[in-house]
Amino acid sequence: MALKIRSMKDFSAGLMFIAIGGLFAMGASQYPMGTAVRMGPAYFPSILGWGTVALGFMVFVESFLVDDEKPTPVKWRPLLLVIASVMAFAAIVNTGGLITATVVLIITAALGGHEFKLKEAIISAVLMSITVWAIFDKALGLPFKLFPWS
Amino acid sequence: MTELIQHLSLGFSVALTMQNLMYCFIGCFLGTLIGVLPGIGPVATIAMLLPITFNLPPTPALIMLAGIYYGASYGGSTTAILVNLPGESSSVVTCIDGYQMGRQGRAGPALAIAALGSFFAGTVGTLLIALFGPPLAELAFEFGAAEYFSMMVLGLVSAVVLAHGSLIKAVCMILVGLLLGIVGTDVNSGIARYSLGISELSDGIGFVSVAMGMFGFGEIISNLEQGEEREVNTSKVGSLMPTWTDLKMSFGPIVRGTALGTIFGILPGSHTVIASFSSYTLEKKLAKDPSRFGKGAIEGVAGPESANNAAAQTSFIPLLTLGIPTGAVMALMVGAMTIQGIAPGPQVMTQKPDLFWGMIASMWVGNLMLVILNLPLIGMWVQFLKIPYRVLFPGIILFCCIGAFSVNNSPAEVYLAGLFGVFGYFASKWGCEPGPLLLGFVLGPLMEENLRRAMLISRGDATVFFTRPISCGMLIVAIFLLIIIVLPQIRKKRAEVVYESAD
Repeated sequence: MALKIRSMKDFSAGLMFIAIGGLFAMGASQYPMGTAVRMGPAYFPSILGWGTVALGFMVFVESFLVDDEKPTPVKWRPLLLVIASVMAFAAIVNTGGLITATVVLIITAALGGHEFKLKEAIISAVLMSITVWAIFDKALGLPFKLFPWS
Repeated sequence: MTELIQHLSLGFSVALTMQNLMYCFIGCFLGTLIGVLPGIGPVATIAMLLPITFNLPPTPALIMLAGIYYGASYGGSTTAILVNLPGESSSVVTCIDGYQMGRQGRAGPALAIAALGSFFAGTVGTLLIALFGPPLAELAFEFGAAEYFSMMVLGLVSAVVLAHGSLIKAVCMILVGLLLGIVGTDVNSGIARYSLGISELSDGIGFVSVAMGMFGFGEIISNLEQGEEREVNTSKVGSLMPTWTDLKMSFGPIVRGTALGTIFGILPGSHTVIASFSSYTLEKKLAKDPSRFGKGAIEGVAGPESANNAAAQTSFIPLLTLGIPTGAVMALMVGAMTIQGIAPGPQVMTQKPDLFWGMIASMWVGNLMLVILNLPLIGMWVQFLKIPYRVLFPGIILFCCIGAFSVNNSPAEVYLAGLFGVFGYFASKWGCEPGPLLLGFVLGPLMEENLRRAMLISRGDATVFFTRPISCGMLIVAIFLLIIIVLPQIRKKRAEVVYESAD
């Protein structure tokens, strides 16, 4: 009997919840359980974790029983570039400075948009850098390192 | 009565200081600015602007946050009327008739009525909080650990039950949220849980990272997936003055909307959405000529907008009196209060009356500001809406990143926000709502603490949750809610399965 996945959304969500719940539940086993009266650090997370696994399993089973519309296809470009821009900012901001991180973020993120116009992105990066400097450095006086050489 | 006046005068004396007025204005302004941007709702707006409030003392910080909330709601209606894009879920209804009015060149009166209706609702809401706050807080003093635990369970269940989408997936999101909230050092035993040896995690996951990641980045990525065709009503805004007929026709809807919104606001769940939808349905049923709805009927704007603001206002009541957040927005407020060192609960009213009443008074002031100041600024919002999304969104991401960074001056929060962005993107793609997760995240540690305490006091007797009357009552309501929602779903799904297998 071939099982047909009727709801890709539920299939994926179900697996995701089983995985997350399972990770937390198994992770809890390294801590003491304690008793019902004096609950140890593992008590609550174990209940929640296994609960998530159980419910996740129900969602997973449901995916074979109930029809649902297909999830909208993943567009990799916006996803990867937006996340890349965030990660780049985090990686650069302490060493390269806020302004450098800003420029890298703006241009990387802009690449994730519909149409990438290089001139537009550069102007935007410059304007954003000035705005950021004005608000966070001048107006609020926050202790940000601005450039790699600051 | 005299007590009410005393409380309100204390509140206004705090709210009307130059400093607090300024913060209220900044909050309203920034909230509207970000709220106007399509695809960014109040939760994302508050999440983004939250770090700005960290450096302020508690009272101005909360005043500014409330201002941001109302500003974002107001911005959402503006976008709905001008661009037919709901800035937030409760503005969906405003889109229907509001946008049509815009196309007929009547965007101005639509915006004006939306603002006036919201102001009326806000005033009523403020009075209700002032009247019922103290007695409710007194009731809350009777609460022990068992009651708090059961109340949180009820809050989580109602939030899920009244939300749209798959119930079981929403419950899973709550559980995941609770689990994520537990990450960090356990107060009782001192053991760092799930910290993976990373020192930043031993303090727990910052909720700014979760909020910005799931609501900010996740939404932006989803927005980028869709097309960018927007017909903007900007050239036809014209005069803001509503006609006499407009005002007369709106009066009833505004009053009825306020009443509906007040009721729904106090209940946990997506109060603003249900309030505005119910108001629209009610007005359509009551109208002499229902066919006008959908083509620019002003009642279709007046009612829902008032309902939605009334609900937004009264949804603060459970938070300010009992200390329980009833939705994603309130969850953020709890987070903000905790960061400011204030434990939300009934004791806030007695221990910090100037904070409590000052905030309530300034909610009303914020509503007033939105009517007086933002209406003339419509031109500015309109210009803003003309900027193409591809230019705006990198800036939004940038401010989110700076915000997340500034929490601890560490890139760890930014990395986490990025990870939650990916998680949020896939979760919503697969039909799992992020709101319940945020609620669970904020309540997680609190629930565990109360569960532990209740069990300790009852010496391991788990029936304590049912033997204590208030706690028992709340759990029964929670179970009841679950049953009435699950039953139709089971019947529907059984029917579907039977139908399928009959092929």
